Amino acid sequence: MIHVENLCKQFSDLRRGSIAALEGVSFDVRPGEIFGLLGPNGAGKTTCLRILSTVLKPTSGTALIAGYDALTQAAEVRARIGFMSGNTGIYDRMTAWELVEYFGRLYGMQEVLLQQRLFEIFTTLHMLDYRDVLGSKMSTGMKQKVSIARTIIHDPPVLIFDEPTTGLDVLVARAVLNAVAALRDKGKCIIFSTHIMREVEKLCDRTAIIHKGRILAAGTPVELGERFHQSDFEELFFGLISQAEEGMAASR
Amino acid sequence: MNWKNVRLIFLREVRDQIRDRRTLFMVVILPLLLYPGLAIGMVEVQLWSNEQPRTVVVLGAANLPQKPQLLEKGGFAAEWFTVPSDVNKLQVVADAGSPPPDDKAAAKRAVELLHAARELRPLVEQLGSLQQAAREAGKSADGDRLLEQIRSAKDKVAEGFSTTKIQVLIIVPAGLTQRIEQTNQMLAAKGTETADGASSKSPLGFLVVENSADEKSGFGYQRVKQILNAWEQRILQDRLSQAKLPPTLATPVNPMTIDVAAVKQFSANIWSKILPTLLIIMAVTGAFYPAVDVAAGEKERGTMETLLICPAQRSEIVVGKFLTVLVFSVANVLLNLGSMGFTGKYVVAALRTEALSKTGGGVLTFPGAWEMLWLAILMVPLAAFYSAISLALSTFARSTREGQYYLTPLLFVTLGLTLFCMSPAAEIDPFYSILPVVGPALLLKEVLAMPGSTAPLVYVLPVLMTSIAYSGVGLWWAISMFNREDVLFREAERFDVRLWIRHLLRDKESTPSSVEAVICIVLIMLLQFGVLELRHGTGPLSGIEMLRLLIIQQLVFIGCPALFMGIMLTTSVVRTFRLRLPSWKYLLMACAMPLALHPLSFSLGMWLQKWFFPPLPEQIAQIARVMANPEIPWWLVILAIAVAPAVCEELAFRGFILSGFVRSSRPSVAIVLSSLAFGIVHMVPQQVFNAMLLGVLLALFALRSGSLLPGILFHLTFNSLEIVRERASSLDLKGPVVDWFITTTTSKDNEHLLQYSWPTLAIAFVVAALLIANLIRSAPWSKQPTDDDLPNRARGESTAPPARPPVATR
Repeated sequence: MIHVENLCKQFSDLRRGSIAALEGVSFDVRPGEIFGLLGPNGAGKTTCLRILSTVLKPTSGTALIAGYDALTQAAEVRARIGFMSGNTGIYDRMTAWELVEYFGRLYGMQEVLLQQRLFEIFTTLHMLDYRDVLGSKMSTGMKQKVSIARTIIHDPPVLIFDEPTTGLDVLVARAVLNAVAALRDKGKCIIFSTHIMREVEKLCDRTAIIHKGRILAAGTPVELGERFHQSDFEELFFGLISQAEEGMAASR
Repeated sequence: MNWKNVRLIFLREVRDQIRDRRTLFMVVILPLLLYPGLAIGMVEVQLWSNEQPRTVVVLGAANLPQKPQLLEKGGFAAEWFTVPSDVNKLQVVADAGSPPPDDKAAAKRAVELLHAARELRPLVEQLGSLQQAAREAGKSADGDRLLEQIRSAKDKVAEGFSTTKIQVLIIVPAGLTQRIEQTNQMLAAKGTETADGASSKSPLGFLVVENSADEKSGFGYQRVKQILNAWEQRILQDRLSQAKLPPTLATPVNPMTIDVAAVKQFSANIWSKILPTLLIIMAVTGAFYPAVDVAAGEKERGTMETLLICPAQRSEIVVGKFLTVLVFSVANVLLNLGSMGFTGKYVVAALRTEALSKTGGGVLTFPGAWEMLWLAILMVPLAAFYSAISLALSTFARSTREGQYYLTPLLFVTLGLTLFCMSPAAEIDPFYSILPVVGPALLLKEVLAMPGSTAPLVYVLPVLMTSIAYSGVGLWWAISMFNREDVLFREAERFDVRLWIRHLLRDKESTPSSVEAVICIVLIMLLQFGVLELRHGTGPLSGIEMLRLLIIQQLVFIGCPALFMGIMLTTSVVRTFRLRLPSWKYLLMACAMPLALHPLSFSLGMWLQKWFFPPLPEQIAQIARVMANPEIPWWLVILAIAVAPAVCEELAFRGFILSGFVRSSRPSVAIVLSSLAFGIVHMVPQQVFNAMLLGVLLALFALRSGSLLPGILFHLTFNSLEIVRERASSLDLKGPVVDWFITTTTSKDNEHLLQYSWPTLAIAFVVAALLIANLIRSAPWSKQPTDDDLPNRARGESTAPPARPPVATR
């Protein structure tokens, strides 16, 4: 469902010159699985996911989502994905219902189906109480739920989550993670980025460890454990990172 | 473009703006309350303000003639005032002839004033005689000395005035009445006695002193002057009737003024100035705040990315937002104008009190339906233009605050243009009608100034068409902003000039960037202005000097900057300036095309000059004369007017600047931009037009052939042909075959003008069309000079997307 091959992205910054945010990133995600993108800050997770959502254009490489190329068939891709990140806010002056309805219409949903689905989603996520509350008056938890509702209103086959639990308290974060798991059980193809180990352990079927724009390793926890002879996932992660750092320091 | 999406986005944005209390207040509430409030305020202030009576001190009042009487109790006699109630505006304190005021304080003040006046009297009389002497001395050493004395005397009197609060001082000389009587009698006796010296000189000593720099004194003096004039006229009339002479003696011609201004026309004149100004300002302010909120505000609130990931195209998003801004701009205009009209019609009328009529609140008729219709029609393109520009600027801004900073320059430029439009000198003509903002504003001014006239309507089509085009360009710019990652996701940068310069010099690439191209253009333009200043400084030049100056100007101010920038900022001068040999085909075409194009371009220029362009500046006409002058060596003329511009301008515009634009835009866009720059640098409208068109062809040559040489050849040939034409015109060629192709006319200044006749133009047109078509289709865009690093698809050099994505070479 998601096929990324040799994705590269370069930015130029006055101070630092040319920066490679992504270098030769490749991975695949299948339907019905959650693929985790684990890495420290600045690893390139957000850049990668923004490319998948067509908001950024890659410098080179391919990204195929649900069979469409992110560069040349961007509109088709956007119609088939749901994207949620720390940067996708909600409108202050719209109510929860209005906002999700608006995006539903932008996704080209039929009116009758849209209303049905709205009701369904709001019920499942327990949002009916505040369906007419304005965005500015919502708590963080409510806002997050509205974002989730917006992400899934058009029932997309592919879902992209970029650090969706940032800034959330334990309870709300848990609710978000449960929702993501439920979506996986429905057969969605989900890619999920985070820097929190626990989330990866609990949620992700396969994980890619990304650092400074490169994928250091990818696979299920068992596979990775066998490959690097390290059963503790956390140690595995830190080991790979420090190895990569040493490698970079040596080459400089 | 999916219009359903545009509609969805538009409706949401409008609803969002309406829900914003601040927008609602600014656009709806404020106008509705502001104008009635202002009107009421102004009327109140008028009622409270009482014009203080001005103090006039008269010394020597006993010397005034009894008839006609100048002074009455405490003031001037009522008969000298045109508006009876004005009597109270001048308070007179005289030293004789009127009883002291009843009020003790007023009486005390009167005494003080008279005392102070008497102190000033000798100084004033001295000033009077000095002034008379200075006038008689004229411009001489004596005269200058006198002026010095006068100046110091005036300063002392002015000081005296300000301390004592006397506003006007009148000094009546002794013996005034007797002198008037004397002359009256002499005239009555028909002057049988010879005029003696004393009465032939003008009676000296009736002095009226004022301080025109002090408003109070100045206004007071104006009134006093009117009164004195009226009084003097009466004395004259009495004198004439006493001498049994006709009263018309003093006014032999007595021309009578007839003013055909109707109230309607008078009002129309006022509306024609006020309404377009208001329209433009309301359109800008009404567009700007929603634009800032809808683009920069969206970025700030973090909802931009949410919008970008939905299926709507960027262009659909921008058009939806543009329509929102347009609606608010138009609404702002309508509400403001409506509120103003309502205020004018009802509120002012309701407040029409004694006070208002006393100050002369004029009668204004309102513009009729026809004018309102044109107001509505022309409002839309103006609002659309500003909406597009505001949206583009707002997209570029990172936050609403930054967006608001961009308002100030936009507002200033707009105000400047508006002031220009409202001056009486600015009238709509073909040239102005195609300029942005100026065109619609001047058209509206004409329509409002002459209600019911259909004369300005001939400009409607060009104005509307060009306004729509400009709005389109603005919108295109906004959409291109929305497609740039670096604009949408701009992080906070700390702009460090040193770093930026280091980056320019350190990270050199083989060809310049667009930014460097723009810098080059700006540099050349500034240098051109510098040249203009230089030319003003030097006196008139001979032909040869002028040509030398032209050569230097081209080399130093156009060629060198471009060359230096290329050497310093790029790694490959050859690539930047396309210093390659092209195929012979292009060289041939480059020689042939000007031969065909020159007749067409020249004739087009002549035709446009008649009705479109403003007159040619003197300097350009001078150059034309120099070209034709057979005494000047032809090789110098060719060097100055053909070779130097060909080489330098090509190096600059088709070398450095075109290479810069080609790096980050499509080739067609790069061609248009470089041609625009080339045109604008010429500054004179005729040359701008010519240069823009030629610039397109020259850029085409450069890109198609990959070399600068065809362009240089073309440019050289084209300019040389103009020289040849000028020279040939002085030869006055005629003959049976020649007359088919060219005609030489002679103007009354004995200036010859060689023009091309129809057969020439027809042939030229066909040949040119063929050659140009050949050029456009000659090859796909030749390989663009790019940097040797990562092949970058985002910098679309190729017109077709690559079949397979290139593999990263890193």
